[in-house]
Amino acid sequence: MVRVAIKIVGAQGQGVNSVGEMCAKGLKRSGFCVFGYREYMSLIKGGHSSYQLDVSAEDVRSSTTRVDIVVTFNHHGLEKNLRDIKKGGILLHQTPQWKFKNPEDQAFIAEQKIRVIELPTDAILKKLKAKPILGNVLITAVVWSLLSQPEEQLRALVREQFGHKKDLLDLNFACIAEGFAACKVIAPGITLSLPKPDSKWQDQLLLTGSQAMGLGIIHAGCRVYVGYPMTPSSPILTFIADMQNETGMAVKQAEDEITAAQMMVGAMHMGTRAITATSGGGFDLMTETLSLTGITETPAVFILAQRPGPGTALPTWTAQGDLTLAVGAGHGEYTRLVMAASDTQDSFDLLPEAFNFAEEFQIPVIVLTDKHLGEALFTQPAFDQTIAKLKRGRLVTDLRELAQLKPADRYDPAAGDGVSKRWLPGSEAATFCAQGDEHGPDGSVTEDAENARQQMEKRLKKMAALKAALPEPLYVGPKNPETLIVSWGSNRGVIFDVLESAEMKKKNIGYLHYQYLWPLKTESFEMLSRTAKRTVFIECNHGGQLASLLKLACGRDVTQKILKFDGRPFFFEELREKLLSALTPNPSLDRRGA
Amino acid sequence: MHDFASVHPCTWCDGCGDYGIWSAAKRALVELKIQPWQVLLCFDVGCHGNMSDKIEAYRFHGLHGRVIPLTAGASLANPTIPVIAFGGDGASFSEGIGHLVHAVRSNYRMTFILHNNANYGLTTGQASALTPQDQKMNSSPNGIPESTLNSMDFVFSLKPTFVARGFSGDIAQMTRILMAAIRHRGFAYVDMLQACPTYNKFATHEWLMQHCYDAATEGHDPKNFEKARALAVDTQNRVATGILYQTEDVPAFHEHLKPREGVTTTPVEEVKIVDTSKWERSFA
Repeated sequence: MVRVAIKIVGAQGQGVNSVGEMCAKGLKRSGFCVFGYREYMSLIKGGHSSYQLDVSAEDVRSSTTRVDIVVTFNHHGLEKNLRDIKKGGILLHQTPQWKFKNPEDQAFIAEQKIRVIELPTDAILKKLKAKPILGNVLITAVVWSLLSQPEEQLRALVREQFGHKKDLLDLNFACIAEGFAACKVIAPGITLSLPKPDSKWQDQLLLTGSQAMGLGIIHAGCRVYVGYPMTPSSPILTFIADMQNETGMAVKQAEDEITAAQMMVGAMHMGTRAITATSGGGFDLMTETLSLTGITETPAVFILAQRPGPGTALPTWTAQGDLTLAVGAGHGEYTRLVMAASDTQDSFDLLPEAFNFAEEFQIPVIVLTDKHLGEALFTQPAFDQTIAKLKRGRLVTDLRELAQLKPADRYDPAAGDGVSKRWLPGSEAATFCAQGDEHGPDGSVTEDAENARQQMEKRLKKMAALKAALPEPLYVGPKNPETLIVSWGSNRGVIFDVLESAEMKKKNIGYLHYQYLWPLKTESFEMLSRTAKRTVFIECNHGGQLASLLKLACGRDVTQKILKFDGRPFFFEELREKLLSALTPNPSLDRRGA
Repeated sequence: MHDFASVHPCTWCDGCGDYGIWSAAKRALVELKIQPWQVLLCFDVGCHGNMSDKIEAYRFHGLHGRVIPLTAGASLANPTIPVIAFGGDGASFSEGIGHLVHAVRSNYRMTFILHNNANYGLTTGQASALTPQDQKMNSSPNGIPESTLNSMDFVFSLKPTFVARGFSGDIAQMTRILMAAIRHRGFAYVDMLQACPTYNKFATHEWLMQHCYDAATEGHDPKNFEKARALAVDTQNRVATGILYQTEDVPAFHEHLKPREGVTTTPVEEVKIVDTSKWERSFA
């Protein structure tokens, strides 16, 4: 697979994102699959941020560590990102009279045959009497010219954005023309060749995991969203809030995460579909509420968008360190479901499932995502609107059935799978108490030992029924793989890219991917790992949390682990090298991860 | 009253103010012709929370300090169902005071009944933020060092739309207050001064009897915010009760939401799979 990587760097607020997004949209419309990856710091202006686009005519779902071109807004990028460039690559900058003073940099440029191009942005903008912000379009035009992409396409993109403001549009067009003209002067004969495009990408969507999850929330019939800002969950709140006038949803930015969780539970109890999203620290605050829903058997959906911990740690970076938190959070024992999205498709598809499972089993559901998935840009076919079905389980709404209900039906311990009938306040029926204290079947408080045992068993019986209802993890690969890879969440994209690479294609590797993480299905894992020569876990955390859960569940510990916990996702070449060395028979290496 | 009667006997101490509040709540619902299935009662954790199975109606007995946001969420999901939150002064002025602040600001359509006995009863008589300074309590044998929070001054500073004060010995007045509170457009704050014969030895039933008076009998106008605030805060010699302040001019939270304007259904009625394709075009 031929892939080209473009990395735009600069201070936050300089236009890194707008240039990245404009390039991504244009390239997708030209017939390329684009994967966008953002790095930024926890501040508003300044810092050093980047937007990388990996482009191919085939599926691309990961970033490379080395890129074909670095486009920098300031001189920091010249120094910081020089070594990100591949041999023969391009460094496009806008710092007048820049000279590399460091002899090592000079040597690197010479050895690697890096082509350094300076765009006289200030001079051109001055000539056009244009504001600095138009530098974004100007430099995009230069990139467009280097990529040999048609000028008109860039004009069309700009027209979409500024079409309603004639003056601004004309100025943008002038910048595009200047950019193309300048490229001929500053980079004569230099081009960056893209593979032959494929028209199948042209009409696909380009969106982030958070936007896809937002659409999934809307698709699921969720009508109330209560949130509190915390990276990387905030983009979901922003998306849902920005959409509210279209969707008619009730959106509330609460005073804290406890409020967000409580309001969600109150709204779910009343009978609508409601959700909240947060990150680790906010989720910690929600856990008492999570536990409450365990005993009141109120359906609840929490999105936990992971970033590194503990504490505030790396607020704008990624991790998969909260799996065991999701599985173990909240005091006491009760049935819960933990699922994890891995890409935009999952982010959309899993949300209706989350609500369905929450209502069918009357349990809390935790949907894991992470910064990498939430903020990366994916090329995605239009979502299939026909798959999701509304499933509300034993919710009684029929008037005749309501009339026959007894208060003791609510928490009836005789329910075979532990799931008893549920009905909504305002229904003309016998009433009950959703009871946070241990209770009898009608929600009355009782401290009776036999009742306590029965109710605990009722609530935990749901675990077996839920486990039986969950699909097995997704498996791709030969029937008896020599190597079994096990992973979850946003690693899926890079794992697929690596497995499809020339180095891996012919190897006998299977990949087991967990979407549903608790209760944990072990059948496929046990079957595949028993015959595989080696099992390799790939996770973005320090402990190998899924590996630990599977070890607990089925005692298998003949595994290797490829772990990463520096706030960055796995990059393409990085994972390929790590996996290659994991496949090399080396006993000392094999033991390392165990 | 029979419709709201529970089979479970009450477990409060003899002389507890909860009996009075419990009776008034039931009477107010009956007077308003609300059936048990037409209302949601939400309870915090504390002595008052033991009411959760001593009354019929749809009920939710949640966590300590969190009854306000729980009830607010229920109200947001279905504003056509009256929702009443019951909480104590420990839960509402210590653990969950942030929720109270923002609920008043948000003006959710709900009634909040503060069971104000100026201590933590169920955990055996510790001081709350409303216990007088220097008062000796369980776990503060030398008297509490903190200054007392003036709850009425605090609540009035938040620009409430409904403030009332009752006394657990006057069921008739509490009933009138609660009827008005349940009908109120937004957030109704109802402070019920409550006798706690076991742990509150400073504001006893007798003390409250002697000090409480109905402000309406002295011509108080509940439309006057400044006068209401002054009256509510000044408890030096006498304690004014009744509806101290009310305005119906401020829309409730859900009425303020632009996307809900003109919508005749409630979020509870709107749950269905929604086709999102028209919103996906902007991503192409």
